[in-house]
Amino acid sequence: MENHIISLKNITKRFKVGEGEFTALKDINLEFKKGEFAGLVGPSGSGKTTLLNIIGSLDSPTEGQALVMGNDISKLSHKESAQLRNHHIGFIFQVYNLLPVYTVYENVEFALLLQNYTKTERKKMVMEALEWVGLTDMADKKPDKISGGEGQRVAIARAMVKRPEILIADEPTANLDAENAHIILKMMKKLNKELNTTFLFSTHDEKVMKYLNRMVSLRDGSVEKDEIIAKEAYM
Amino acid sequence: MKLALQLAYKNLLGAGLRTWLNVAVLSFAFVIIIFFNGLMDGWNQQSKQDSIAWEYGNGHLRNNNYDPFDPFTLQDGHAEIPSGVNHITPVLIQQGTIYPEGRMVSVLLKGISPDQGIIKITTASFKTSSVRFPAIIGNRMASSAKLKIGDEVLLRWRDKNGTFDASNVTIIDIFDTTVAGVDSGQIWMPIETLWDMTGLQNHATIAIADSNYTYKAVEGWNFETQKDMLQNLDDIISMKKYSTAILYLLLLAIALLAIFDTQVLSIFRRQKEIGTYIALGMTRTQVVRLFTVEGSMYSILAMIVGCIYGVPLFIYLNKTGIGMPQASQDMGFSLADKIYPIFGIQLIIGTILLVTISATIVSFLPAKKISKMNPVLALKGKLQ
Repeated sequence: MENHIISLKNITKRFKVGEGEFTALKDINLEFKKGEFAGLVGPSGSGKTTLLNIIGSLDSPTEGQALVMGNDISKLSHKESAQLRNHHIGFIFQVYNLLPVYTVYENVEFALLLQNYTKTERKKMVMEALEWVGLTDMADKKPDKISGGEGQRVAIARAMVKRPEILIADEPTANLDAENAHIILKMMKKLNKELNTTFLFSTHDEKVMKYLNRMVSLRDGSVEKDEIIAKEAYM
Repeated sequence: MKLALQLAYKNLLGAGLRTWLNVAVLSFAFVIIIFFNGLMDGWNQQSKQDSIAWEYGNGHLRNNNYDPFDPFTLQDGHAEIPSGVNHITPVLIQQGTIYPEGRMVSVLLKGISPDQGIIKITTASFKTSSVRFPAIIGNRMASSAKLKIGDEVLLRWRDKNGTFDASNVTIIDIFDTTVAGVDSGQIWMPIETLWDMTGLQNHATIAIADSNYTYKAVEGWNFETQKDMLQNLDDIISMKKYSTAILYLLLLAIALLAIFDTQVLSIFRRQKEIGTYIALGMTRTQVVRLFTVEGSMYSILAMIVGCIYGVPLFIYLNKTGIGMPQASQDMGFSLADKIYPIFGIQLIIGTILLVTISATIVSFLPAKKISKMNPVLALKGKLQ
């Protein structure tokens, strides 16, 4: 039996809408191994973000079982799911979600402040993360003083600084131009190879799809297609 | 908690003008609370000191038939000075009437030994006076009766048999006191002169104890301690404190409302930020703590800002005092021309605790909402 870092069994997610219900995910069965560079693709409303939120323990399924690093998401307390996110999952958002009052350095350092690293350790790790994304010279700048592409690179550094097992990126290139999108994707691909982090994207961007090793197509909350594009991702 | 403090500090500084407006209002509340309480404490202490120095001494031995709040008891509220009681200065109090400029003014005639040193009435001037009926009055009495040093005024009194007698008394000195209880409507005379005038030889209505006095039960007399006598003053000051508290509590309420408002707005406006904190691994409790600390940190910043302008102001006021309007001198209780506020450590710590705890509570109440927030909706910035 293969060792899966993420295992989704019969996941269904329903939301209350007014007096009725909307089914965002229907009976999803998926598994992801460590080191995958996979994407959930599909049109808006297909359930990509909902599925990523469940994997990221920000939400829980209405039915089914979501196992992330052996943790059943539905059974985790708020504190336990926070611990899971803090130590094992990194997030990259469409609009970067950088904390505006902090500098680039402090934004990246934030994730480490929640763990028990010393100041020296934190500094070393933050500078290393900024080096990965090529922003060491912008450490002291505030988010409003950097470009969108740079902002997303800071978000990558912030997500990767704690060296998570899983990185969840929700439409990471949606707000970027083509050039910046390629820079970001190359960077993530490189980190995926070097650190063996599992990358999970939600996207409907063709540029992103070209980089994926595995593409899971969702439509109306169901898996339409699950194709492995490059076998080496499983090696 | 260290993390919450670090983050809250950065968030507050990052919020810029909004933070400083809240801090300014709160620091003003800080300074006003300390100022008013300091003023009241200063007034209280000054009044007590003056009342002791001018009127109460170490307490009063009082004739049982005399009630200071009932003028009808003056007629019979006296007796021979109790023998064997040392360290007291007897005072005989009788009623009289003076006729300054043709007006009729009821007065209390108070006889006291010229040699006394317990209270600050300038009785030593009796010893150097050669007039037959020397009298000393306070500045309030002088002002209301339009009398000055050297003036003669017709005094009518009754002797022990109830017979009216009258003579001119000469004002030989006018003393300046903040204690209306020894001044308004009163004429001080040597006790021997008053004994001669009334025939009440060796009688006293009260006897003022000095610091060496030791209480010994005396039949027909009761002793009212200095503390008992100061109780009225304490009651007046504490009543005054409550009434001024309304003023500064209103100001504090405005400041706290501003913090509450900022916190409520923050929680709506900063939903994405809250969602990000949770996504990055903060527990909801940590986020609630962060927002609560942010709110209570307003009070810490306000304390620092308040110190910057408050401390020099308080030092200045403590040295120069605060002038009281002339009208306040006739209020019937001790009030000096100038009050020197007292800013004690207890007052300052009490105010810091009051403001900090209040700010923490008003910050915690809206922050509690975060614990029920859906992180997914928060990340989307959707109002919840």
